[in-house]
Amino acid sequence: MPRQANAIDFWRGIALITIFINHVPGIYYARFTHANYSLSDSADLFVFLAGWSLRLMVGSPNRPPQSEWYIVLRLGGRAVQLYAVQIMITMIAIAMLAASATFLDNPLLLEWHNAAAVFYDPILTHIGLATLTHQLGYFDILPLYVVLMTVAPIFAIIDRYAPSWLLPLSIALYLATLIVPIPAPTWPIEGQWFFNPLAWQLVFVLGFVLAREDGVGGFVRRHIVLLRWLSVPIVAISAYIVWNRMWPDPTLAPHPRLLFIADKTYVTPMRLIQFLALIALFSGTYPYIKRWVSWFVNVCSMLGRNALIVFCVGSILSLAGQITRFVYRGDIVVDTLVVIVGISIMAFAAWLPEWREQVRSRPSAQPSPAS
Amino acid sequence: MARASQIKAIGATVAGILIASSIAGTAFGEGAMPATPAPPTPPVAATTPAPYSPECQSGSTEIVTATPLPNVAAALQKRRTVRILAIGNSAGRRHGGYTRHIERILQQVVKGADVVIINRGVSGELAANSALRIKNEVAMTSPDLVIWQVGTDDALAFVPLEELGETVQSTITWLKEHNVDVVLAGLQYVDRVAQDEYYHRVRKLLREIAAKEHVMIIRRYEAMQFIAAAQESGNGFGPDEFERTEAGYNCLAQYLASAITLGAFGKGMSMRPLRGQKPQQPPPMQ
Repeated sequence: MPRQANAIDFWRGIALITIFINHVPGIYYARFTHANYSLSDSADLFVFLAGWSLRLMVGSPNRPPQSEWYIVLRLGGRAVQLYAVQIMITMIAIAMLAASATFLDNPLLLEWHNAAAVFYDPILTHIGLATLTHQLGYFDILPLYVVLMTVAPIFAIIDRYAPSWLLPLSIALYLATLIVPIPAPTWPIEGQWFFNPLAWQLVFVLGFVLAREDGVGGFVRRHIVLLRWLSVPIVAISAYIVWNRMWPDPTLAPHPRLLFIADKTYVTPMRLIQFLALIALFSGTYPYIKRWVSWFVNVCSMLGRNALIVFCVGSILSLAGQITRFVYRGDIVVDTLVVIVGISIMAFAAWLPEWREQVRSRPSAQPSPAS
Repeated sequence: MARASQIKAIGATVAGILIASSIAGTAFGEGAMPATPAPPTPPVAATTPAPYSPECQSGSTEIVTATPLPNVAAALQKRRTVRILAIGNSAGRRHGGYTRHIERILQQVVKGADVVIINRGVSGELAANSALRIKNEVAMTSPDLVIWQVGTDDALAFVPLEELGETVQSTITWLKEHNVDVVLAGLQYVDRVAQDEYYHRVRKLLREIAAKEHVMIIRRYEAMQFIAAAQESGNGFGPDEFERTEAGYNCLAQYLASAITLGAFGKGMSMRPLRGQKPQQPPPMQ
């Protein structure tokens, strides 16, 4: 039986839906996602919840711990799985772009999603695809996830033997990355990773640390009411700034500038603080949402329980939606269909493995003894 | 205003050097002042940009307008270095993309100057996303010039015109306020979009913004359209549209290098025909 709906799966499902919508540029419904009212967006939530899930996997020191080898092998296996998924969806996306450009007789489609290098400089770019140093636009969060999962055993082991050191070490690495700054370069095309892993690891570690019921996580739980009150003005002011596009001038920021500007690549402090305020504020809403729209909670939780497959399907669907909008000239009707069909297929992709699991676990499915 | 006159004076000084290097011409900008105090470092010198290669020549089609780039001129005079931030579909081609071509051409043309290209292009990126990144990149990298390839992907995604116009206009205004020159690289051409009304409305919008804001726009669509027509009327073995799109980036590098040189040094510089080759009509420079 799949686990019951819970807040983590629900919010992860919400993140998956908004990622799908936001990855269809120009779509009407993107204006309703929280990226339009918030400095942070669903990417922050996705990475934070990945860290939270890591806690559920490795446990706390007060629970019977898994051996270090078990953790290393399990997380290493997960990293390999994520890498394989990244390569697979990237190749599907490349094939979709190539097919669209060919059948629609429009070479400009080859340039979507940072794919131009794949077609026009294929020799080196294929090396870059395999080494994750060339990433398609909107297909760039899994490479971050691969890196984070690869180093996750280090986080887990520090947490086990020196738990009070993990967050300070993570913050130190984050600050060094922003102050120097330390870019994560792409190759063969000059540029930077869209998500700098040295900076984004802090979001992951924060999820991991806050999921603990003692330490920083315990402190937050004890003072959550106060923190929510403090979060209200932060969330409100940032919503006002983002909605009215009143971004502070980054050239007026003191040095080192990355500490004072809003930037997604380096998940700068301004963005990080707003994200933490946002989750503090909304973390208490889950019971009410569940009471009022339980069917919606169940669907989102189902998406969240099967996050990896739904993410893959959603990534491909968002590209399909983009191509559909191009062919049928995006308007409200086309956009509505893209969203309805897309979310329905994502829900089906989440339901299918759970249904298979249920069928497999039925007594009648047990193999009968050989006669 | 004082700053504008000062920049014009710098432009005139540089243009004087051009004249001395056997190029007849006048400094851009009416009322350009004669050279005033000698600069602390030897001024950079420029030669005529290399002519467009034959496959990039586009008849009488106006591709590059000579619009002053005062901040580039000032940077070359003060620091002998020009920092160029490339945004848009700037990457993704062999040998480092078209920006590497620009770097090479400019370093040949502008003697003694250091050309630093900061490549932050993401192909397929919409203007709204680019606009946010441009401001942060300006804060982080302090460029003198931004080359912004904009419009093609917004046209293909049917981004509302008002929204696109507001994004481009406000970003250009912001860059000018921060003493950063802008060159827009306009929409690309392929047969498929030739009859697309929305695509043409985006082209028109960008041209209007460029004219209103007095910024340079490379009219890539017209160039690529001319080249395509010329090739199709040839012997029938011309490149297909995919190859032509690829080749269009090499031409874009030449147009941009020409535009930057003209913008920094004045319109007196004109394209020389290739030696031993029957010259095609070069694009007018004003």
